[in-house]
Amino acid sequence: MLKTLVEKEIREILSSTKFIYTFIVCLVLILLSFYSGAVNYKLNVTHWEAANAENLRSFEGIKEWYRVTENRIFLPPQPLATLVSGVSNDIGRTANIEPSGEIVADDSRYNEEPAYAYFRFIDLEFIFLVVLALFAIMLGYDAICGEKEKGPLKLCLSNAIPRTKFLLGKFIGSFAVLSVSLIVSIGLGSLLLPMLGVFLSSEEWLRLALIVLAGLLYFGLFLAMSIMVSSMAQRTATSFLILLIIWIGSTLILPRVAVLLSGRAVDVPTVDELGYQKAMYGTEQWKEFMNTLGNYEAIDNDNMEEVMANFNKFMDSISIAREDKMNLYRSRLNEQRYNAELERSQIAFALARISPSASLSLATSTLAGTSPNLKDKFYQQAKNYQTSLKEFLSGKTGMNVGGGMMIIELDDGSPEKDPIDPSEIPQFVYETESLSTSVKDTLPDFALLILFNCIFISGAFISFNRYDAR
Amino acid sequence: MLENNKQVILEAINLTKKYDDGVVALDNLNFQICNNEIFAMLGGNGAGKTTTINIFLNLLEPTSGDAKVCGVSSHIEPLTVKQNLAYVSENVMLYPNFTALQNLDFFTQLGGRLDVSKDEYREVLMRVGLAEQVHNKKLKSFSKGMRQKCGIAIAILKDTKAILFDEPTSGLDPKAGYEFIRLLNDLKDEGKAVLMSTHDIFRAKEAADTIAIMNEGKFLMKEKASTLFDKDLESLYMQYMAVHGLKPTTEGV
Repeated sequence: MLKTLVEKEIREILSSTKFIYTFIVCLVLILLSFYSGAVNYKLNVTHWEAANAENLRSFEGIKEWYRVTENRIFLPPQPLATLVSGVSNDIGRTANIEPSGEIVADDSRYNEEPAYAYFRFIDLEFIFLVVLALFAIMLGYDAICGEKEKGPLKLCLSNAIPRTKFLLGKFIGSFAVLSVSLIVSIGLGSLLLPMLGVFLSSEEWLRLALIVLAGLLYFGLFLAMSIMVSSMAQRTATSFLILLIIWIGSTLILPRVAVLLSGRAVDVPTVDELGYQKAMYGTEQWKEFMNTLGNYEAIDNDNMEEVMANFNKFMDSISIAREDKMNLYRSRLNEQRYNAELERSQIAFALARISPSASLSLATSTLAGTSPNLKDKFYQQAKNYQTSLKEFLSGKTGMNVGGGMMIIELDDGSPEKDPIDPSEIPQFVYETESLSTSVKDTLPDFALLILFNCIFISGAFISFNRYDAR
Repeated sequence: MLENNKQVILEAINLTKKYDDGVVALDNLNFQICNNEIFAMLGGNGAGKTTTINIFLNLLEPTSGDAKVCGVSSHIEPLTVKQNLAYVSENVMLYPNFTALQNLDFFTQLGGRLDVSKDEYREVLMRVGLAEQVHNKKLKSFSKGMRQKCGIAIAILKDTKAILFDEPTSGLDPKAGYEFIRLLNDLKDEGKAVLMSTHDIFRAKEAADTIAIMNEGKFLMKEKASTLFDKDLESLYMQYMAVHGLKPTTEGV
């Protein structure tokens, strides 16, 4: 019996023009997202390689390691970011790393191309959030009330079939059609990737499969919700209107309201405020530094090298002291801001998760490595790189690089030194999160998507069992 | 006392339906329909004819009383009851993107018959008067009469003991109406118990064994059709309606 109902549902959907048009739109958009994603990724890789090469070239001809005062690092493009862009286009992708001092990432994609910032990209996440949800609504809004309006419902229910089975048949049939359509579209899109020169690792394929699974759960819950609403409404127009309002509310309004409310709940100082405080403190420290420097008394010695060594030792000590104080102050301010920001984000995400759209966005972007954590991860790894760069340069120069120092080069007639080898400079390697960590991080969102499915399917059963089918 | 081989298939026992707003749709209705019998309920809009059918189909619960099919209560064991019931509505609406054969196949399987061959579907469609060339046409291109024939084909294929017809002749042309009565008699001869609600006095007089005139959920009159042939049913109908201060629906009159 269930098989008959499922088959009928599949046949009915496949023979409807609304499905054919929607499927074509969905297929075109998915192929477009894969194509544009692959092209963008290749372009980004080219830019990234060129930027790295250019950076290395900037060290050419330098003969003293102490002249290497900074290195520029670049966040490498992630293949899956082309399919789920998340925050990857919003955050800074490059940073100047000095052996000490703060790290500020800049050159975000949207900074370079404001048009994209305004209109955003068509990626899989957008297709899931907007197209797939609307697709589910289109398939489900008239599932019950439409059958009543058009007539066959009463005839169907005059047969010995439990209503739950009838509804289950509708759900399974609609879900099967869309799942297959989606998987076929994404399968075709995936074929484009190697054809366009983008090769995913097996782990990335697995991540993509999980992203599709999240999309299917999201589609499932919208389908169940649509069937539930159609089991409550007597007219298809009413059902469609209610679902459209829910879709707008959950996709466009709820997440924004969540961010707004969290902003009201937790006060986070702006970067400019922090910058001002740091600058004020820096000025204060600089004055103190200069005062100390002014009180320096050079040793009475004819040997210039000893005099310089003593002076540098003194400079080192006061520079380190100043730097330590500055670092402590900066860390304290940064930590306060980071904690406030974290609290605000946690509140925002917790509230936004009332909307399944937020759960989907967070799950897919976490799996693609483009979640809001990307900024922190890049910053943290840049900090680690800063330490290794400092150690490397200190080893090369034997000095406290990054602190204050005075260097006097004497022409003592010794042969000219060879240029440094820039390839010796440590390379920045961005470590992506392991799959198990990503999966662990997405578990709450998957659980929520499953929970929403259960709630709406139960709601649909309850409503349909009480539905006036006359 | 029932005649030999007669068996009560459809039965209403003190069937009452009151809506929340106080409207009494059915008021203590009693009737029995046996196999090989056609029972016609005549009456205006809102008389309670469709409500009676809806209670048999368990689309409505009675306030009191019972509607039984083969002795089984429709609101206590609806699924068992529906195995013995087929239903044809006033305006048969099937799946418009399916062909006649596909619709038949789906509803027959839904009715619990999984072993029906395509030839059998074609045979039944021919029997109800649908020519072979339309069997593979989509229902959206069918007229009301053609859809009605499909509905009857579905009911025939379900092969139940009872068939409920809700205004089956409404909107049918005279030829289609005649063919319908012929089919109804065939079904009766096959042993079906038929409950039919209608406005159409002539068709009812032509086909039914028992005729009941209904108003405000009650039978104003219930007679054997054979005894009514001598009287003038039409005048009787008008008379009953007039006595009760009602405007009769004169479709088919």
